[in-house]
Amino acid sequence: MLKINKLNTYYRESHILKDVSVSVDRGQVVIMLGPNGHGKSTLLKSICGLVEKIDGQILYDGQDITGLASDKIVNLGVTYIAENRELFPYMTVMENLKLGAYSKNARGNEKENMAWVASLFPKLMQRQNQLASTMSGGEAKMLAIARGLMSDADLLCIDEPGLGLQPSYRVEISQIIKEISRQGKTVFIVEQNIPQLIEMADKIYIMEEGGISFEGGKYDVLNNEQLKEIFLGL
Amino acid sequence: MFLEIIDVFTSGLINGSVYALMAVGLTLVYGVTKAFNFAYGSFYNLGGYFAWVLLIPLGVIGGYFSVFFMAIPFFFIVGYLLEKVLISPLRKYDDWEMKVMMLTLGLSLFMDFGYQAIFGPRIKSLPGIIEGTVQVGEVVLFQQDIVIFILSLSGMLCFWWILNNTRTGMAVQAVAQNPAGAQIVGIPKDFIFAATFAISTMMVGFGGILLCQKNFVDPMGSTDIMIKAWVITAFGGMGSIRGSLYAAFILGMLEAFVGWYFGMIHVQIATLTLLLVTLAIRPRGLMGRE
Repeated sequence: MLKINKLNTYYRESHILKDVSVSVDRGQVVIMLGPNGHGKSTLLKSICGLVEKIDGQILYDGQDITGLASDKIVNLGVTYIAENRELFPYMTVMENLKLGAYSKNARGNEKENMAWVASLFPKLMQRQNQLASTMSGGEAKMLAIARGLMSDADLLCIDEPGLGLQPSYRVEISQIIKEISRQGKTVFIVEQNIPQLIEMADKIYIMEEGGISFEGGKYDVLNNEQLKEIFLGL
Repeated sequence: MFLEIIDVFTSGLINGSVYALMAVGLTLVYGVTKAFNFAYGSFYNLGGYFAWVLLIPLGVIGGYFSVFFMAIPFFFIVGYLLEKVLISPLRKYDDWEMKVMMLTLGLSLFMDFGYQAIFGPRIKSLPGIIEGTVQVGEVVLFQQDIVIFILSLSGMLCFWWILNNTRTGMAVQAVAQNPAGAQIVGIPKDFIFAATFAISTMMVGFGGILLCQKNFVDPMGSTDIMIKAWVITAFGGMGSIRGSLYAAFILGMLEAFVGWYFGMIHVQIATLTLLLVTLAIRPRGLMGRE
């Protein structure tokens, strides 16, 4: 479904991603681990057209989407869910959700997706008239995920959903991601604070200094004491 | 004395309503693009000349009705092209907001001198939309003023409705509140920027027609309008639509009362004093966000 060949990205003078090659199959949950500031977010953003200087090849369903504008990529069914949420602060929960369905491909299924989101996030629905800026960190994170689901995407690129959250929210997020995956969506996720997620992973990558330093299944990580300790803190 | 105050109040209300219409457009552009359009006043004059050309030399059938009917698409297209042709190529630069200010400042001079070259340096007067008066008790109101007030109010209501009830309107607000978030949900920024310029140009053009037929079309009058629009935008809080609305009416009233009590010559200094004092106490203006 997603195939990245020798991706390089640059920000001003610095070379961030170096020859990164990754592949994600339809329906998989793929997890990217690695230290902070080594390019994991940049990779997700590059896929979604949010990074300007990129070089290499990103194929989505066989189509070359390298350097395509973000609105075109969202239209093809790829969505980025930001680590820092990027909500519309002076809009209500409901307005944020509706804007999640802005892209042309999402408009037709807005009702179905809204019902799905409502079943996944009942608490958000109780607060549908609350302004996004007045929500707590955990609630805002849930809203960011819910808004991403409204885009009707097949591939969800989720950036550190558990960062800075209480354990109870992390458990909830892992359950939601399980449910998203059960619905047949493909999930490419950067996250290392939620051990439960590793159990769901079909494939794990580790990124260090802008390059992929490890690729394997979940047991390759779980059975490797060194990797387990460094990247999962277990 | 009482009747005089009513007169002054009405004049403040009428001017305030047109200022509101224009300033809301200007603040929208700032809120969405974070760039300031310094040619705004010259587009106000374009409204005046647009009406003059249609009504006087061309003598268009239908009078003002046709003028307004044609003005809406005309100014929408002018604003859209302005963004596409002149502004958007600048966006590839890091300091593009600065470059937009320089460019629009230059454009404003170009347009003002262009008006002089084409239409001559003398002011032009437009026929009134409607003549006659209405008497309410002892108060006499010009029908023209009532029409201006109703038209600018409907213009604003239309704008409000579009902004809050259409997909594009919501997208415009989304870009203003969080450009990165807007990009993530797939809102095409280029289109929204151009649409914003188009809407704001439409509003100022409309405002120009309304006020120029009450006053005059003055080829050098754009600076005065630009200063007013800028004061309202900064006073209300850069980018805050609600703030601009309040500021426009406050400024309209201030102008009317200062002009009446102290003389017109003191109006500009009063408005600038109000702005400076407000910004000294509250740098983000009445309703600006941090």
